Amino acid sequence: MTIEIHTHQFILHPTGGIYWKEKQSWLLADVHLGKVAHFRKNGIPVPRNAEGFFYQKMEELLPLFPIKRIIFLGDLFHSFQNNEWHLFEAWVKQQSFEITLITGNHDIIPNWKFEDLGILVKKSWEEGPFFFAHFPDQKTQQFVFCGHVHPGITLTGIGKQNMKLPCFYKSPKQLILPPFGVFTGLHIIKPKADEQIYVTTAKEVLEIKEKLP
Amino acid sequence: MKIIKQWFESQNWKVQVFQKQCWKAYAQGKSGMLHAPTGSGKTYALWGGIVEEMSKHKTPPKGCHALWITPLRALGVEIQKATQKMLSDFNPELKVGLRTADTPQSQRNKLLKDPPFGLVSTPESVHVLLANKEHQKYFKQLKVIVVDEWHELLGSKRGVQVELALAYLRSIIPDLRVWGISATIGNKKLAREVLLGPTENFTVIEAKIKKKINVYSLLPKTMERFPWRGHLGIHLVPQVVKIIKKNKSTLIFTNTRAQCEIWFHRLLDIAPDLAGSIAMHHGSIDKKIRLWVEESLRNESLKVVVCTSSLDLGVDFSPVENCIQIGSPKGIGRFIQRAGRSGHQPKAGSSIYFLPTHAMELIESVALQNGIKTQQIEDRIPYLNCYDVLIQFLMTLAVGKGFDPKKIYPVVTSSFCFQTLNQERWQWILNFLIRGSQSLEQYDEYKKLILNENGFLKVANKTIALRHRLSMGTIVSGNDLKIRYRKGGYLGSIEEWFISKLNPGDTFAFSGKILELIRIQKMEVIVKKSKSKQAKIPAWMGGRMSFSAHLSDLLKKALFEDQDKKTREFQSLLPVFEQQKKESIVPRPDELLIERFKTREGIHTLFYPFEGYAIHEAMACLMAYRISLITPISFSMSFNDYGFELLSDQAFSPDAFLDNDLFTPEHLFDDLAKSINVSEMARRRFRDIAVISGLVFQGYPNKPIKSKHLQSGSQLFFEVFKDYEPDNLLYKQAIEETFDHGIEQGRIQLVFEELNQKTIVWKNCSQPTPFSFPLITDRIRSKLSSENVEDRIKKMYLQLDKTGR
Repeated sequence: MTIEIHTHQFILHPTGGIYWKEKQSWLLADVHLGKVAHFRKNGIPVPRNAEGFFYQKMEELLPLFPIKRIIFLGDLFHSFQNNEWHLFEAWVKQQSFEITLITGNHDIIPNWKFEDLGILVKKSWEEGPFFFAHFPDQKTQQFVFCGHVHPGITLTGIGKQNMKLPCFYKSPKQLILPPFGVFTGLHIIKPKADEQIYVTTAKEVLEIKEKLP
Repeated sequence: MKIIKQWFESQNWKVQVFQKQCWKAYAQGKSGMLHAPTGSGKTYALWGGIVEEMSKHKTPPKGCHALWITPLRALGVEIQKATQKMLSDFNPELKVGLRTADTPQSQRNKLLKDPPFGLVSTPESVHVLLANKEHQKYFKQLKVIVVDEWHELLGSKRGVQVELALAYLRSIIPDLRVWGISATIGNKKLAREVLLGPTENFTVIEAKIKKKINVYSLLPKTMERFPWRGHLGIHLVPQVVKIIKKNKSTLIFTNTRAQCEIWFHRLLDIAPDLAGSIAMHHGSIDKKIRLWVEESLRNESLKVVVCTSSLDLGVDFSPVENCIQIGSPKGIGRFIQRAGRSGHQPKAGSSIYFLPTHAMELIESVALQNGIKTQQIEDRIPYLNCYDVLIQFLMTLAVGKGFDPKKIYPVVTSSFCFQTLNQERWQWILNFLIRGSQSLEQYDEYKKLILNENGFLKVANKTIALRHRLSMGTIVSGNDLKIRYRKGGYLGSIEEWFISKLNPGDTFAFSGKILELIRIQKMEVIVKKSKSKQAKIPAWMGGRMSFSAHLSDLLKKALFEDQDKKTREFQSLLPVFEQQKKESIVPRPDELLIERFKTREGIHTLFYPFEGYAIHEAMACLMAYRISLITPISFSMSFNDYGFELLSDQAFSPDAFLDNDLFTPEHLFDDLAKSINVSEMARRRFRDIAVISGLVFQGYPNKPIKSKHLQSGSQLFFEVFKDYEPDNLLYKQAIEETFDHGIEQGRIQLVFEELNQKTIVWKNCSQPTPFSFPLITDRIRSKLSSENVEDRIKKMYLQLDKTGR
């Protein structure tokens, strides 16, 4: 699914990432690395196998398009530093593209830790007509890409059918990405008439055009 | 038995046979089970023996001698008062303490420091005591544990909690006697085995008290106005007011807290003069208000109390003259129990009015009356292999003294629930607690229990211990928020999902008042009183009950055999049956009726086996699953005690259905297991399991605790287990419970064999029939689909936010 904003092409991918064609960049929000480990360290036994998702998903994404940069839109790590950090460190060292981290409310690992790995750490980022942030509703005239919300949507159908799915949530001046992480949960939103919803399944991204007032 | 007999004489009471039997058996050092109804003097049957034995000592004995476990906090208050009064007559120094979740901290500390002779408590609070390091010393003098209202606990996870506590206390106190008190239930022998455990030294005593129960159906004057569905029954409010005014005091039993609120308001609307003499009682109301209501009932200052099962049990709230049951009580045992709340004077019969909330419940009224006549009381089916409760219990021991896994294993398997727990599963549970289900080789930071130098398992750190202490207890409620006035004063608690639908300024009914939401802060809902008449009624989760097997048999019998008898109930039903027969039929015993019609909502297909909610839930799932194998289709299902509905956006043809022999009992359990998986019925079960086993921790409203970054929901856990660890025992338990408890395996096999003998009558109707109405309007539904997600999404639409916020 490709959408155009200010004449730039953005590909919405089923994993929840967005590929920015003109700049050969991936946008990823709310990865929550180390969340599983954080729970386990506190005696809550989330299956450990749920931890490896990020590297699996990246293996799927990286070969798809030429890549110069990844922009993480906040909450890259879930909590304090734990074992997961070392895996991430090793992974970063293998990559040749640039990495930018926009910090979110969960990012409590000190900036220098990231900067030592050559990652650019920012509170927000502007580039052409676009503004990148963790939190939505920025006071700017530029078009905003952000995360934080973990948007999900309830769809209804004939026969009292309904489904909850993660989605890309686009309003006239802003696009909120679904969480890239697993074991993260969704916040169900109710869109307004001038907003667009693109749901993600494991296979596809679909725009929901049929709307009921 | 001299001393206790004298005391009875001093009270001008006559000793009853069963009381004498209990005293004697107790003196012989026996354990036992007493079957006696509420208000029969059963409390003294047990305490008599305890007092008699105690009085043999010259000086009053030190330490806790008797532990009395009751399922309800309200009941605990009663027992404590009654027995303290009795004991004081013998020796003013003897104390009976009360330890429940309502007990203030200062009182708890006092009870710990200075153990009372008798301690009245709940299953949860007993476990809290076991979490104390000194519990062995505390219970050193313990002679007897009495479990009151055992029939209420058996068949629930709280019952398992009791089983574990008993197994454990038996293992540290050699000659411990255990007594159970239970109302009459179908499976008495099993109830006794589960409670008393593997002992030969027991006796079973039956109080032969037969109380006459008069049941009256409340019928509307004309049937035209009688609703086809609905669970409120408010069309009959005027008649109820008449009954209230005629009697000195009335208890009105409703099935849900929401219904309770609605009835309270409607009664006041119609009879404003009741103000001041009407009150409400349900589990979400703040304990101070609850205690006040109970007290007022006792001193007769209230004329009517609208309540839920929160007042089902109890010692005598003496003079309640009358009971009214709104809607189906779902079981004969429960109905008798509720009726028993009226007419406590010996020999005075009990009387209860049954108020059907829709037409079909009138048939139920007939069935209930037959059931009472023939004393067909249902079984309570105990749980097996509740890993969640076991994990919680092991954690409880680990936060206290710690435990030696080798020594605790035989204790656990001596309980009924875990008798089949094998070494392999036991090792899995230990590994789950110690290494979070990981193998030894893998490096991992998991921390929960650690093995200390004495071979004891203990919690790894204080934070984990604190988190466990805060979340102990098996009764699961949703994420509850406390409600309070701006200027202070708690009203009770309410589920978060209801409040989250309201905006500041919205009004809602709670605890009999109309409240306006000001804001939500720190897990508290701040409200003020409102003068508005318009209010939303909170719906509370839970409260779904199924017919017992007996009741569904009685219901079929009533429908099939008593229909032609000219009873008031069936006379009233005539117009409804007329309407039903216009396009469909009232099925005969050898027929299975299936109705099909179309509405704006889609294609409805309804089945009427009359086998009770639990069986219909399973059947609906199974049918949906089998049809979905023939063609890609999505279903939404609803079920009640009469039948079930499959709703779909496309019609499946009757021929495809009938030709494919979809009712076959072959591969029944295999297909059921698959349908449970596909429909994710186990999801709902998992909610409780996740909370009980400590996976989900929500913090406590008035005890803020740093649980930063540890919030999550049971649904998230269900997903990760499904995707990454499907052999996790807690995940498996959710599926097994759906089978064992929701479905009752043995019965469903029989039902399918019987169905195969029946003639299927398929009726295409032009509009919904009276039989179908309660089903098609039910909003609580399950889903099952064999279409792929993308195809389904393409047929769906978005609902937009209308508030424009």
